[in-house]
Amino acid sequence: MAEDTFLSDEFVRKLTAVGEVDILVGVPTFNNHNTIEQVVNAIQLGLVKYFPRERTVLINPDGGSKDGTPEIVRDSSIQDFRTLLSASPLRTLHRITTPYRGVDGASSAWRIILAAADLLRAKACAVVSPDLESMTPEWIEGLVRPVYKEQFDLVTPIYHRHKYDGLLVKNILAPTIRAVYGTKMREPVGGEFGFSGKLACHYLEQDVWHEETVRTATEIWMTTRAIVDGFRLCQSFLGPKIHEQKPSAQNIVATIQNALGALFRCMENQEPYWLSRTDPPQPVPVFGFEYSSGLEPRRVNRKKMLTMFQNGVQQLAPILESILSSETLKEIQGVALQDEKQFRFPDELWVKTIYEFAASYHHSVINREHILQALTPIYRGRICSVVLEDQRADAEQIEERLEALCQEYERLRPRLVERWARKA
Amino acid sequence: MGQLVVNTLSDTLGNFFNTLVLFLPRLLSMLVIIAAGFLVALLLRIVVRRIFGIASFRKYCDSAGLTQMMRKAALPPPVDFLGQVMFWVVWLVFIVLGIDALGIGALREQITRFFIFLPQIFVAMLVLFVGLLIANFFSRATLLAATNANYPSARLLSSLVRLLIVIFFVTMALEQIGLGRHVVLIAFSITFGAVMLGSAIAFGLGGRDVARQVLERQFLQKEPSEKDEEISPL
Amino acid sequence: MPVVHMQGQHADAAQTWYKDAIIYQLHVRAFHDSNGDGIGDFRGLTQKLDYIQEVGATVVWLLPFYPSPLKDDGYDISDYLSVHPSYGTLDDFRVFLDEAHARGLKVITELVVNHTSDQHPWFQQSRSSHDNPYRNWYVWSDTDDRYQEVRVIFVDTEMSNWAWDPISKSYYWHRFFSHQPDLNYDNPEVCEEVWNVMKFWLEMGVDGFRLDAVPYLVEREGTNCENLPETHVVLKMLRKRLDEHFSNRMLLAEANQWPADLSPYFADGDEFHMAFHFPLMPRMFMAIRLEDRKPIIEILQKTPAIPDICQWGIFLRNHDELTLEMVTDEERDYMYDEYARDKIAKLNVGIRRRLAPLLENDRRRIELMNGMLLSLPGTPIVYYGDEIGMGDNIYLGDRNGVRTPMQWNGGWNGGFSTADPERLYSPLISNAVYGYQGVNVLSQQRSEHSLLSWMRRIVKLRKSSPVFGRGTIEFLNPENHRVLAYIRQSENNRILVVNNLSNSAQAAELDLKHLRGFIPIEMFGGNPFPRIGELPYLLTLGPYQFYWFRLRRF
Repeated sequence: MAEDTFLSDEFVRKLTAVGEVDILVGVPTFNNHNTIEQVVNAIQLGLVKYFPRERTVLINPDGGSKDGTPEIVRDSSIQDFRTLLSASPLRTLHRITTPYRGVDGASSAWRIILAAADLLRAKACAVVSPDLESMTPEWIEGLVRPVYKEQFDLVTPIYHRHKYDGLLVKNILAPTIRAVYGTKMREPVGGEFGFSGKLACHYLEQDVWHEETVRTATEIWMTTRAIVDGFRLCQSFLGPKIHEQKPSAQNIVATIQNALGALFRCMENQEPYWLSRTDPPQPVPVFGFEYSSGLEPRRVNRKKMLTMFQNGVQQLAPILESILSSETLKEIQGVALQDEKQFRFPDELWVKTIYEFAASYHHSVINREHILQALTPIYRGRICSVVLEDQRADAEQIEERLEALCQEYERLRPRLVERWARKA
Repeated sequence: MGQLVVNTLSDTLGNFFNTLVLFLPRLLSMLVIIAAGFLVALLLRIVVRRIFGIASFRKYCDSAGLTQMMRKAALPPPVDFLGQVMFWVVWLVFIVLGIDALGIGALREQITRFFIFLPQIFVAMLVLFVGLLIANFFSRATLLAATNANYPSARLLSSLVRLLIVIFFVTMALEQIGLGRHVVLIAFSITFGAVMLGSAIAFGLGGRDVARQVLERQFLQKEPSEKDEEISPL
Repeated sequence: MPVVHMQGQHADAAQTWYKDAIIYQLHVRAFHDSNGDGIGDFRGLTQKLDYIQEVGATVVWLLPFYPSPLKDDGYDISDYLSVHPSYGTLDDFRVFLDEAHARGLKVITELVVNHTSDQHPWFQQSRSSHDNPYRNWYVWSDTDDRYQEVRVIFVDTEMSNWAWDPISKSYYWHRFFSHQPDLNYDNPEVCEEVWNVMKFWLEMGVDGFRLDAVPYLVEREGTNCENLPETHVVLKMLRKRLDEHFSNRMLLAEANQWPADLSPYFADGDEFHMAFHFPLMPRMFMAIRLEDRKPIIEILQKTPAIPDICQWGIFLRNHDELTLEMVTDEERDYMYDEYARDKIAKLNVGIRRRLAPLLENDRRRIELMNGMLLSLPGTPIVYYGDEIGMGDNIYLGDRNGVRTPMQWNGGWNGGFSTADPERLYSPLISNAVYGYQGVNVLSQQRSEHSLLSWMRRIVKLRKSSPVFGRGTIEFLNPENHRVLAYIRQSENNRILVVNNLSNSAQAAELDLKHLRGFIPIEMFGGNPFPRIGELPYLLTLGPYQFYWFRLRRF
């Protein structure tokens, strides 16, 4: 095992000074000066309010921010706790910022947090995104308590989402993981996590930190790893998830590439676990008081999505021929001919498409990057259909539709298994 | 007189038979060499098939698009093709060696020249082979990128890319085997330069606005001017 | 580096003898019985003065020994000018005083000025009728709804601060037990008489008084009746008289308040000489439980500067419960959960246990706490019995569990008294862990490694330098929050103190660049440690270990 030192001397020194802790919270940052102060204060308040007697530390790996983010983390402090709570904190509140070279991106930050958790023998850990605008101290309680008090190993979040938010997760990632791995998780790639010290050590032990999957989509790897290795999972309701606005639509290609690529590669590595499973998916316990509140409406450019879908299907036909079966491709082409008003991308077709893509990816029928890029226009078509269907739906109906989609994924699972295992 | 004729005939015949007798071993050796060559070539084909028949190479060929390309070109799949190539090359070598064994001087020279020429052909074939692969890859990549970025006529762009790369590599291959070196080189330079210059002028002058738009979209993360999506996939 | 100046060095040393003092707090009733009646007395105490001197104390503080119905352990006084017959006579006291002075020990007694016993002749007179000359010596009311906002102090026993007197058919005011009516300080006669009482004892030779419950002297409507300006006027008057007529005496205030609220009691050096620093004490216990120095540093940083001649009195335990009034709710809950696992130990707003049981009889922790007591700024007060690690009896009522007889040897009644065991004023501690058979002065005197021997050594070390009692304090804050480190300095003397508050071995790097070149001499062993250089000074400490370094320049 390559024992390369990825923790700087200075960082190790500071960790030694803090000593053993009960709870560790990690916040990786990179140029987040707009939102980081609120996040850090929410974390501090959450720790003091819900875990007043525990020894805690906040670890902040910073990928070379140029906008003063590390200084804000260091200096932001709650001057007078008495206005927010009834008492001031019992213990010293520890905070450590450490720079890292963003060579491996987010996974370097994750690795630092896990290593700190290991060294400090933390019992419970949580990781939150630095660009949250909707974080409250209750999120800390939601992520940490199931681990600290109820002995779970992994806590994935549940957000209160706008119906058009997180469609990649809702239409591909969550149902696939549910059908393939047998775990009913709503947000397997949340961005906020809670996990036990035991699980952190387990992750560190896997000497896979330079592999591509882990580098580009650490969360997916961590979630599937935890499922496969039999750790106790649960979900926790946190609240609305509002990020600082970053351009999203243009990044769809890269997002699909990273997320789906990682998922398929995880499926490859973990084949022995799921290929021959037959039990139905198990529910994952949920903590937290689930509430809904009004969310700002989102604009969606349906026409553009539909056009891109139709163009894509037509222009990429030769490539799609190598990936999909001929019946599926013909069906998709049929869907592309539909009129805008009645445009619907049926669940069954969608699931078949995803599964065939997965199998083709596994067999590398053509270059893998190209396979995922070819999925993007079809994804847009599916999204357009979903948006149309859910236009006037309320939360309950949307839930039902999602459940129906998941059932479809489960029903067609044997198809995936068969195509995946087939020798090309 | 008759005696002379008979003597001449018998001399000639004798000479002929002598030459024949002298030649026959060479002929036989040639036949032997050719036969042996056939067997060796067969053996090597099997070996090549075995070596390259492993799954990873097959997979690689599939993912590189080679298999499909060969299929479209009505050629047998890569592994078999390689085997056949190996077979023919080896046998050809042995045939040529066999002919050389005949000891015909004039042929000898040609044969030497042939052997010198052989590696060039190999290299040229290799260059072509690589070029086809690259053209395939990049044309596909272009097609995908253009489609996902919602450019019109993505197909056209992709075919253009493929064409350019293929031309480039064909030229290289031809240059390698020395076929019409200068002509090809000059023709290529002119074409390539013209295309580039034409694109630059067209783009720079005529497509000024388009160019600006494209650059803006590439380099400036501004607020979406049209009704863009606000949803995030994750 | 935060520097907290606790006191300056400019006071006259003799006048301010209390700054160098080590105070030994005891109750004459609990110390030693000379006449076999089961109750400690002055003759017995006199016999044990050698021991007190041997421990290293320089001042003896006596809990009330005046005539009293003893319903509040002597704090309910019925005659200020005499000695309770159980403890001896006034002459016995005089002899004791002289013997103490002969050994260089000063004596401080209690002056319970806020209230008297309801058996005191003054009250008997006051309540007899509305026209009695002593009527206004106490605070009377026809209704019990005056001073509504005032809190009840003994919450476990009293419902209200007013009690109904059936004889004079009116209510009287009492901040403590209902049998302890408050004196009325708005009456100048009361002030005069209190001064007379003080004068009586001062003329006899007593060196100082601890004034009990001083915040509550005066009442005013619409206030919480604590720390009122009028109270300070009375106290200043008493101090003035003291200074006019006597020299080298000391007044010690018992005022359980936040440090900032104690400044008025020092005023400009014209009120009290000393006051107890109540809030520090629970925080020391909290710090070693949390393994975090934060509580100690915070409270000391919030402690205001006091006049040069004034001094804080610091202590670990005393005759009362370990009071948790001056902490936040969160901190109080924490202390209860950590230190009062046995719910019986809770009393009023505190925990009624002795030092050793609180620290689970852990020798290391006991040493650490005493080390901090003797090195933090202020005059240390040691409660009798804590120097041998005596235990307590939480099944005795009120706070009597920490007032059991002193354990002198493993024999009859622990050497306290020759009376029948059943006759003793209080049962001895006799369990297997803390019982007198094992925990006693004699056996500890015989061992060089006993707690008593250790206490004698560390008290001697403390007395070896005036820095402890008179110097400033500068906190070093190493990154390791489990280490409490500070420098005491007076003129050119410096002592570096480093304490490991945790149960596990620790390393700490101290930033001592400004003391580059000094050599730390470890005070217990006398060994020099490596010279201080440019780099941070690395120290490693075992569980609950502490260092005292004298910093010398060569």
